[in-house]
Amino acid sequence: MNRRKFLRSAGATGLAVATLPTIIDSFTVKAFAGGDPRLQQLLESQDRVLVLIQMPGGNDGLNTIIPYTDPVYYNSRPTIGIPKSRALRLNDTLGWHPALAGMRNLFEEGSLAVVQGVTYPNPDRSHFRGSDIWLTATDADVFGSTGWVGRYLQTLAPNYPTVLPEHPLAVQIGTSTSLGLLGSSGPMGISFRDPDEFYRLVNAGGGIEEVPSGTQTDTPAGREAAFMRNIARSADVYATIVKQANDSAGSPSVTYPTTDIGAKLRVVSQLVAGGLTSRIFLISWTGNNFDTHADQTSSSDPTLGAHAALLGELSGAVSAFMEDMKNKGLAEKISGMTFSEFGRRVAENGSVGTDHGTAAPLFVFGKNVNGGLYGKNPNLTDLDDRGDLLMENDYRDIYASVLLQWFGASTTKAQDVLFTDHSANALPLFKTEAVSVKDYNSSAATIVSVGPNPATDHVVVRTRIDVNATASVTLSDLRGRELRSLALDSWSGVGTIDVQTLPSGTYLLTLKADRATTHTFVNISR
Amino acid sequence: MNADDFLAAVFDMKEPRKKVNLIAKVRMFRLLKPADNRPSHTRNRLGMINLAQRATPLTFEDAVHLLRRTTFHPTWAAASALVGKTPAEAVQALLNVVESPPEPPSWANTQPEFTDFAAAARLWPELQQWWIERAITLPSLRERLVLLWHNTFSTDYMTVYAGQWMVKQSQLIRAQAFDFKTLASTMVSNPAILQYLNGNQSIKGNPNENFAREWFELFTLGVGNYSEADVVEAARAFTGWRISGNDGVYNRGFADLGQKTILGQTGAWEWGDVVRITFEQDACARWVARKLFMAFVEFYPNAEAIQQIGDIVKQNAFDMKAVLRILLTSEHFYDASIRGALIKSPAELIIGLSSTLQATHVNRTYVIASMMRLTQEPFYPPTVEGWKGHHAWITSSTFPQRQRYAESFVDGRQTGSSSKLMDKTGKIFAPDVVAFIRQLPNNNDAKKVVENVAKLMLPVPTTQAQRDVLLEIMLAGAQVYEWDIDLPSAVQRVKFLLQAIVRMPEYQLM
Repeated sequence: MNRRKFLRSAGATGLAVATLPTIIDSFTVKAFAGGDPRLQQLLESQDRVLVLIQMPGGNDGLNTIIPYTDPVYYNSRPTIGIPKSRALRLNDTLGWHPALAGMRNLFEEGSLAVVQGVTYPNPDRSHFRGSDIWLTATDADVFGSTGWVGRYLQTLAPNYPTVLPEHPLAVQIGTSTSLGLLGSSGPMGISFRDPDEFYRLVNAGGGIEEVPSGTQTDTPAGREAAFMRNIARSADVYATIVKQANDSAGSPSVTYPTTDIGAKLRVVSQLVAGGLTSRIFLISWTGNNFDTHADQTSSSDPTLGAHAALLGELSGAVSAFMEDMKNKGLAEKISGMTFSEFGRRVAENGSVGTDHGTAAPLFVFGKNVNGGLYGKNPNLTDLDDRGDLLMENDYRDIYASVLLQWFGASTTKAQDVLFTDHSANALPLFKTEAVSVKDYNSSAATIVSVGPNPATDHVVVRTRIDVNATASVTLSDLRGRELRSLALDSWSGVGTIDVQTLPSGTYLLTLKADRATTHTFVNISR
Repeated sequence: MNADDFLAAVFDMKEPRKKVNLIAKVRMFRLLKPADNRPSHTRNRLGMINLAQRATPLTFEDAVHLLRRTTFHPTWAAASALVGKTPAEAVQALLNVVESPPEPPSWANTQPEFTDFAAAARLWPELQQWWIERAITLPSLRERLVLLWHNTFSTDYMTVYAGQWMVKQSQLIRAQAFDFKTLASTMVSNPAILQYLNGNQSIKGNPNENFAREWFELFTLGVGNYSEADVVEAARAFTGWRISGNDGVYNRGFADLGQKTILGQTGAWEWGDVVRITFEQDACARWVARKLFMAFVEFYPNAEAIQQIGDIVKQNAFDMKAVLRILLTSEHFYDASIRGALIKSPAELIIGLSSTLQATHVNRTYVIASMMRLTQEPFYPPTVEGWKGHHAWITSSTFPQRQRYAESFVDGRQTGSSSKLMDKTGKIFAPDVVAFIRQLPNNNDAKKVVENVAKLMLPVPTTQAQRDVLLEIMLAGAQVYEWDIDLPSAVQRVKFLLQAIVRMPEYQLM
């Protein structure tokens, strides 16, 4: 069965390809903005992307961000400690591993955050439990079966995979599917190594719907078959869209390093540049590469060796990627975050390596990231009974920052995704002004405040407008459909919009005063 | 705690401010509930499974189910030969296959090469070929265990580097496949595992925890059945190993002989004591039970069933033949609820299809490359946890890849291309699909052909509607009475049928 036939039969069996209210593609943006570059920019900034980079195996945090004035560091690591003279200066007490020059540059530009001491209470030192905990965003003693990203994406597309959004919600570059992307009805994203290969694979032979499924669905076999049908269907629908995005992207503006991570970020860049509106891209090394129990460094030069090569691979690839995004005018909408299941023990072991530990720094980067250092330096003398670092930041507080500040999720939604409310501890990692009115104001029509935002039943808009102007506020969905309109009393400049019957999601609020126009976003969340 | 107790406990708590969190937790708990071990004919409401020996003679479907689960070779001939036998007789036959170990590669006992990369790397594909040659030619339950135990005591050729050590580990696994205790105990001194988990770099006074941790977590007990302190203490006890030539050598002079407390027992323990103490734990028997259950029965084990099988493992002192005899002849193993409940690994898919279609002489390099594309490169699992299996095999990339592999194989082509398949000598060949059909009874009745092929190749009964569509695909416009296996056009028609079947999601199940 070819693709056309498949789509026909998919339609015939009641399956649908639909658009999400909260996700808009570039074509819609252009049409909706109607040549207003500021509105277009505002709309596009809604369309934010998070690139998650997993460093599997347990990255050695103390050899990533080096406490080079702490004698305990050098006493604990006589062989593998990075000498002060070789570390790249971060501040008076901390230095970068010399392989991280690219990350350091981003930090110096103010677009990289280093979050210190990230882990969770009672950290698990098993690779598999550790990564499962990070990916499922659960407490250490909970065995979760869905990922935090998957659960977030499910709030955007509750009927996935029965109803597929126009573009994939998440893309993993590789052949596996991360636990992080699993929702309660299976993977919320797709995986492929290369867009062309993916397209060929899906379209080179027969489809899946030529033989109808059996009637039994409430059996293990029935459920497994349904699981595969859903995956096959998302592959079938998205292979073409992914290829189109890839084909229309043009060439990268920089040369990517010829490393695994470099090649993967190059694919991400092409897809984003080609207009794919996936929210999440996930990339990872394929094995437990960071599990440096032995020969972590060269025995003659601690700045060389396996760990240095891995950090260099990360840094080189991320630098190239961010440069490419900047050159293409996409830097505003991209952020990235690294993570690893745990850090490593303070003291080195007898094999020029380190054993499994606990807390470690992670990186959040992007033009809209509030760069800088978050959290105290690791205390190398106040350790747990295994000789491991104590927690400084709970990893879920960072996830909460991502959900609340980067994706603009409501507190309720973030809590649903993370199971507990981390909003009070969220770190101010992202610039939220990017979607505020400030940049888009016109002096004749100023939106002073919009609240409550997110709203549940009504929104009060306070404005400053010319008393003689004819003014109105309208509320539209992100497809440009006007849903509410209200004439404003220009003396008070205050209006109240009833939103009780509108579904949860992001809406565009437009203030018009004579010929001046200002926009902002309102979230409705229940 | 069952779901009801959990909910009761949750709502009895006196902290109203946490209410929303609790609701989220309740929701999460629901997500965590195992989906697949609901009560069935052979599982009671408490989760206990019926392990009584089934006396009913095997039907064809029973026989091919047994073969799919226990060998890489579900063929019409082998299944037919088991029809009418009791489960006990059939399993006895599988366990009694006379098999002498395969001849190791010529270089197996040579000195490993560490300076010349090309010389070392040349052995890796030969290692893979050596394994696949055995697995694809000998229908054997032992070979399924060889893969299962290598997926437990995982190593990869890149990290281990010496092909000689990988062969040695594989030989150990094959030799001790049915004696788990000896297998695990001997594994401590195996050069491949010593190298892979840094056991050869763990010294008195400064131990490396890598091996000790995986010993408990992945080899013998599982998470939750040991403490961090046990890992640290066991790491001390596992010191003293070095690799000399192709052997692991224990030197007490380098071992930490001091007092240690491991799993509650205190003494001047050495590595052998850790093994002893570990195997005294009930959790160890349960861990092995879980491995067997997930590989042979269901991927989502429930605690009660694991306890039952764990008791059997313990009673039989880790003798896998004794345990498998009970498991594979049990009422539960033949219950409809578990048919098709497992997703085939690439090995099961690729070797299985070549065997079913009587095409096991397919080119070995191609088989290995295909397994690699489906993310199961032999001797190269992604991490020490091995391949996760089941749902992890199926992604938006690998599912179409599986379809392309199988439909192309039927047609004598390489995955998704027009290149022809080659046999092991490098000659072009295609599976003889007509010969495959000729071995089936009533092969001049088109409907019977569809019925029998579906019965052989799909683990769950097909519906009439499915068979009707398959028949229509096979006939490709011809009338049912026109079907004739002797006509030249039968080749293409059989291919249509087989390709439609191997593309079905159900074909990925076993």
